[in-house]
Amino acid sequence: MFILTKFADLVQISPDDFRKQSHVAIEDNINAKYANKVVQKIGLCICLWDLLWASEGLIGNGDGMVNVNVEFRMVVFRPFKTEVIVARITDQSPQGIFLATDFFDDIFVPWTELPEGSEFEPAENLWVWKEDDQVMYFDNNEMVRFRVIAEEWHDQTPTKPGEAAALAAAAAGEAPAEQPVPANYKPPYQIIGSMNGPGLGCCLWWE
Amino acid sequence: MKVLESQNALLSNYEVYQHTLDQRRNNKANNRRVPANAHKIMNEVSSPNPLTTLTSTLTIPQVMTYLTTKPSPLANQEEKQDYTPEAIPRLLERLREADLPGELTKGELLSILNLRPSSSALLSTAIEDMEERFSEDEQNRIVDVIAEVLGRSDPAEADGEGELDGEGEAEAVPSVENGC
Repeated sequence: MFILTKFADLVQISPDDFRKQSHVAIEDNINAKYANKVVQKIGLCICLWDLLWASEGLIGNGDGMVNVNVEFRMVVFRPFKTEVIVARITDQSPQGIFLATDFFDDIFVPWTELPEGSEFEPAENLWVWKEDDQVMYFDNNEMVRFRVIAEEWHDQTPTKPGEAAALAAAAAGEAPAEQPVPANYKPPYQIIGSMNGPGLGCCLWWE
Repeated sequence: MKVLESQNALLSNYEVYQHTLDQRRNNKANNRRVPANAHKIMNEVSSPNPLTTLTSTLTIPQVMTYLTTKPSPLANQEEKQDYTPEAIPRLLERLREADLPGELTKGELLSILNLRPSSSALLSTAIEDMEERFSEDEQNRIVDVIAEVLGRSDPAEADGEGELDGEGEAEAVPSVENGC
């Protein structure tokens, strides 16, 4: 579920970081810029893996920043298709089940991908799986295994004010379809999962 | 920012775990001060200040929590050291010796490493079309090799978690809550 991605970037070390060794200052700079950020079509960056190359530091005209060109590898969270990973149930709705890991929140299992015979109980707001007179509950906070079947990317580039208003209006129109997420919020990186298959679903069922 | 190579390598959970651990050790050895905001989160002292809860090393402790929470096989890594750098090539070697009709793909081996399946039902999550490719006997052989090389979670604990209405109930309740 983790991969290494090779990046090239310009790192600017500000004078108050000069007390650090240069490789430490570069590392801190990269981590501050990338850690916990989604890069479109790459995945969620976790932390720096190693520094491959760094140029000489150059000081430009007008400020005291040292500019260094670097190449480095980041640890990136990007599960491959059909990979099975473990996550925790955070919320449920008639549309499906929302999952999260400790560091990544945007995982969704639509109701069509739940095991056959699953039903939603509106009174308790949770899904149950009924098979052979056995009733099994998808409780919130339960650890579950799921299979990655698709991913969705939503670029978070800000839109122009005029377009933004139009988009918001359009989103408001379809808001009921995608509750409880706020109407115009789309996660930058969302994983669509499936829990239909042997070994999938709550971890407790398979112990 | 420029992406030079979108997928340079695949990492197993164990490698990420080890990398984080090494880095933490390095920081300590060099007496390096972690930025205040990250330090706070690492020590789980809760004094929420929206200004300091930014970026940087914030994800690392979270990833660590995820990797060491049950049912992750790394949950008892600190005491039991089931995973070692030598374990990975040994697993590959033993699987080759197990004399299977087909080869396992790289992704399947990675899934086995990350999940450490302890039964054939769980093994089927790691191996595609397992029923058609391997007989029951062969599936059991794979599970045995995994248990032999990578160890298994404590059977006592597994019982406590598995049988909610069995005798292990007293243990089961706290262990489930801990997992939450």
